[in-house]
Amino acid sequence: MPAVPVRPTVTLPAEEIAISAENLRHTYDRRHFALDGVGFTVRRGEVFGLLGRNGAGKSTLIKAMTTLIQPTSGTLRVLGMDPARDGQQIRQRIGVVQQAESFDFTTVEGNLNIYGVLWGLPKSERVRRREQLLSRFDLTEIRRRRAFDISGGQKRRVQVAREFMHDMEILFLDEPTVGLDVIMRRTLLDSIRAEVRRGLTVVFTTHNLEEADYLCDRVAVIDEGHILLLDEVENLKRLYGGKKTIDITVGGKDPAPFFARLPEALGGGSSVRTNASSAVILTDDPKQALATIVELSRSLGVQIEWLNVRTNTLEDVFLRSVRHREGENGAA
Amino acid sequence: MALPNLLRLIYRNIIVNTDPGSLVILVGLPGMYLVFFGFGFQSLAGGSASGTSYLSFLTPGIMAFQVVMAGTVGGSMLWADRRWGMLAQLLSGPFTRLEYLLGIMLTSMAFGLGGSLVMLGVAFVLIGSIPTHAFALAVIFGTIVVGSIFFGAMMLLLAALVKSNTAYNSIQILLIFVVNFASTVFYPLSSRLPLVLRVLFEVNPLTYVADAVRGGYTGSLDLTDGYQLVVLLVETTIVLAFAVRAYLRSDLSYE
Repeated sequence: MPAVPVRPTVTLPAEEIAISAENLRHTYDRRHFALDGVGFTVRRGEVFGLLGRNGAGKSTLIKAMTTLIQPTSGTLRVLGMDPARDGQQIRQRIGVVQQAESFDFTTVEGNLNIYGVLWGLPKSERVRRREQLLSRFDLTEIRRRRAFDISGGQKRRVQVAREFMHDMEILFLDEPTVGLDVIMRRTLLDSIRAEVRRGLTVVFTTHNLEEADYLCDRVAVIDEGHILLLDEVENLKRLYGGKKTIDITVGGKDPAPFFARLPEALGGGSSVRTNASSAVILTDDPKQALATIVELSRSLGVQIEWLNVRTNTLEDVFLRSVRHREGENGAA
Repeated sequence: MALPNLLRLIYRNIIVNTDPGSLVILVGLPGMYLVFFGFGFQSLAGGSASGTSYLSFLTPGIMAFQVVMAGTVGGSMLWADRRWGMLAQLLSGPFTRLEYLLGIMLTSMAFGLGGSLVMLGVAFVLIGSIPTHAFALAVIFGTIVVGSIFFGAMMLLLAALVKSNTAYNSIQILLIFVVNFASTVFYPLSSRLPLVLRVLFEVNPLTYVADAVRGGYTGSLDLTDGYQLVVLLVETTIVLAFAVRAYLRSDLSYE
């Protein structure tokens, strides 16, 4: 694992900073910290990804940035303002798509309409945006159906579309693509990209690392309330520069001895993660590693069912950073 | 010109709560009480053939009952907004917690006033006359406003404390039943009632609302009505304080 995973924050002019957090801590029960010393800066006009497992602290961080909770300690500034003091001014300039469903008991278009009224849009503008969003998010056919009667993916589309009824400077998206099919997911991501080109800043949490790879300028990997990695996506992938990942699945006889001997056979230039019948190997020398794997499988009578050599993805970066931390905690 | 935040929230609350199903419960149910109980009990009581005398007694009672229905609107709004994520969504928008709370209370009040006006209209059709004196109308609708705040606050308290849908609905139905029938909405407070029931009638704020509205409606207001209104105001202040405290301490959602 490369050292210094969190790239030090570059000092930016204040007008270029959308969000800054310093040593942010938050506890719900005064014993465990959902956020434990989090610090980062989000630049204006960038897509900032928050990656992490369930319960890692992503949603708590979103709630703090959207003024729904007040952090226990630390410094947080959103658009240069203090959420504890200037909550309402901040909220007038941001948009939030919550992770949980949120609807009014009315039709799809009714939900968009009401939201337009809540945000103070004049009627003509409200109608114009509503029609545009119904079309962009493929909701025209279900516009008169009640929001609670539509499918999960359709609900998600309504929730995201609704947020675009008003103008904003920062959009917080808490796992917005959950339940969306591939086409709609890409439509949504492209819509966000288009808004970013117009100057919108986006804070985006997701489990889907391909999405983060596609959309985010920078990502922070968060786990147990700590930021483990923070950098541009390409830089994070380069942390493993020159290395390749080999995925292998075996069958036949009991594969346990094969996996037990594999790390030693590959030597120190490779790291191996295994489960019952498969392994993921990170190696400096894929050619040599492949030869070793084939030789070992022959000698132990193990059948190789799947073998794949690939470059590293953000998922590899994420998994390794989280597992590295688990290893550190285990060692401690 | 954009509406102020509070009016936008009230608009939203009214739109969300005026679907046909909700309106049947809010206005249709009390309206049916007025028609069926009015004529049914009048025939049992052996009053005039047209049934107007018991209807005249029942009409202000049913107008008063609207404050309970209005209260359920307020409680249900908070409960549903927490349950279905809209509270967190609204509070991550341009609204404060106080505006949200005021929005609910004022919407309850609007439903209380609207419902009692509808009952007055129904009574006019059935009886042929309604009070027109300004002071009487001021007492009637002033009492409806205070009663709506009391029951709105009571239901908000319930919505802030109870998380289970089943528990919320069960307690709400029980409260409506007890508050409604242990009051002077349908019958006068008689000295022949068992002591326990009499006490229940006398501590029930709906009795005060019903008596004051009836006093205004029949032109028979006296000092007792004034005393009852003061008690109602004090009770409303206390319940509102508890409701606000519970609301401010409650989670934004049931996640």
